[in-house]
Amino acid sequence: SSPRDLGRALCIITGASKGFGRTLALQLSCLLKPRSVLMLVARTTEQLNQLKEDIITLYGGQNQLDVRCVQADLEKKEETSVSEMDHLLLINNAASLGDVSRFALTFTDPVEVNRYLSLNVSGALSLTAGVLQAFPRRLGLRRSVVNISSLCALKPFPSWVLYCTGKAARDMMFRVLAEEEPDVRVLSYAPGPLDTDMQLQARRSSRDLQLRRSFSSMFSEGQLLSCEESGAKLMKLLLDNDYQSGAHLDFYEL
Amino acid sequence: MSAVSGLGKALVVITGASKGFGRALALSIAPRLAAGSALILAARSDDKLQELKADLSRGESGLTVRCVAADLGCQAGVERVITEIRDIDPDIDHLLLFNNAASLGDVSRYCHDFTDVDEVNSYLSLNVSSALCLTAGVLRMFPQRTGLTRVIVNVSSLCALQPFPSWVLYCSGKAARDMMFRVLAEEEPDLRVLNYAPGPLDTDMQLQARSSSADDALRNSFSVMHAQGQLLTCDQSINKLIKVLLEDKYPSGAHLDFYDL
Repeated sequence: SSPRDLGRALCIITGASKGFGRTLALQLSCLLKPRSVLMLVARTTEQLNQLKEDIITLYGGQNQLDVRCVQADLEKKEETSVSEMDHLLLINNAASLGDVSRFALTFTDPVEVNRYLSLNVSGALSLTAGVLQAFPRRLGLRRSVVNISSLCALKPFPSWVLYCTGKAARDMMFRVLAEEEPDVRVLSYAPGPLDTDMQLQARRSSRDLQLRRSFSSMFSEGQLLSCEESGAKLMKLLLDNDYQSGAHLDFYEL
Repeated sequence: MSAVSGLGKALVVITGASKGFGRALALSIAPRLAAGSALILAARSDDKLQELKADLSRGESGLTVRCVAADLGCQAGVERVITEIRDIDPDIDHLLLFNNAASLGDVSRYCHDFTDVDEVNSYLSLNVSSALCLTAGVLRMFPQRTGLTRVIVNVSSLCALQPFPSWVLYCSGKAARDMMFRVLAEEEPDLRVLNYAPGPLDTDMQLQARSSSADDALRNSFSVMHAQGQLLTCDQSINKLIKVLLEDKYPSGAHLDFYDL
C-alpha cells in the first residue's frame, strides 16, 4: 500500500525545542511531501537549531524540507507563501505547568496568574488567530489546528490550579473555533502521561502528596508513555483525518 | 449548617455589585443577614455603589455596608477589596464570597480576529485571574476555624460547558473559572464551593449579547428570548441560588444551572 502523508504542508509547532514538541517535529518531518515548510517555535535557540540539524540530517535532504526556527515570539510568523501548499497544520504545544508546589489559595498575585495565562491561553489564541488570518480559507487548502490538551482540561487535580484552568480554557477556546470555522479541522489531543521534563517537575514538585506519589510510581513502574508512542497516535489521527472537529481525544481512548 | 431562612452573622462580599445580578443579589441577601453582619460591595462605579448602599440602608439596621470602587482587572483593584475586609470583626458564623463581576468581551468578533495577545490578557485578567486572587485573598484573611462556614460562589454560565460562536473570550473565561473552582473544592474540603449558572438574565450583559453578537443565529435567538419574555429576572434566579445555599446539600465544586433546579 502506498505510504500516507500529510501533503505539501506548512507546519508550525510551538514548544518544539524539547519533550513532546520535539518528538512531533521529528515525526512530522517524515510525513511531509517535498518542499513543505516546518516552522519550529520555542524560546531556546540552541535546542531549536540542534533539532533543525537533526531533522535535516534525517529527512531534509531527500524531502527538500525547509526547516525554520523561530525563537520565542509567539506572535510573529515568517512570511511564507502557501499558494502551492495543500495543508496548513498548526500544533499548539508550548505550555508550562505553573507552580504546582502551591495550592489555589496561595495565588493572591494577579501578575503571576496573568503571566501564566498569557503564555498558556492568550498566546495560543492569538497565534492561532494570526496563522488563520495569514493563511485564509482557500479551495484545496486543508487547515488543521491541534491543541495539545490534557486530562487536566476535564478533571481537577489538587495543587494544579493554573495548569487545569489553562487547559480547560484552551479546550473551550478550540471548541468555539470549531463551531465558528467548519472548514478548519480542530483537535484537542490529550497525549497521556509523557516521560518529559514537565512530568519530572510534576513528580518532584506537586504539593499534593497523593498526586506526587502516583506520578512517582508511574515513573518507577515504567507506566509513563514515550513521546514517540503518543506522537504516533496523533500522527495517525491527522493522517486518518476523520476526527470530529472540536473533539477532545485522549491517548488512552484510541 | 441547619436549614434556616437566614445566614446568621455573616461577611458577604459581592463583586460586580453595581448593577444586574450583583446588585439584585445584594438586595436579596441583606434581609437574611443577622445584626453585626457586613456586606462588601465591589464594582467600578462608586456612584452606583453609593446608590445601592442608600437603598440597602432603608432595610436592615445592624448591617454594615461598605462600597469599594475598584477595577478588578488590575492588581490594585483586587488589593483594594482585600484591604477593605481586613478590619471586619472576625466573629462571624458565615463567610460568603460571590465572584460575580464579569464582562462579555467583544462578541462582535470571531476567534480568528483575536490576534492581539494584550486584549486577550486583559480579558482574562478581569474574568479569570481576579476571581482566583480575590478568592485566595479573602480565604487567607478568614482562615478555616470551627464554627465558621465559608462559601465561595462562582457566577458561571452555560457557556462554561458549551461553546458559542463569536463568544470565545466569554466561553473560555467561564470554562477556566469552573475548573479553577473545582480545583479549589478538591483542595479545601471544608469549603463550600458552587459554580452557579444563573440562566439568561434580563440585564445589560444580555442587551450587549443580543445587539452585538456576530453570529446571526445566536443574536436572533437572544432577541426572540427577549421579545417573548423568556428572559429571567435576576430575582427569579437569585431565589433559586439562595435556596440552594441555604439547603446546603450541593456537592462542593458542582456546576448547577438555574434550569436544573
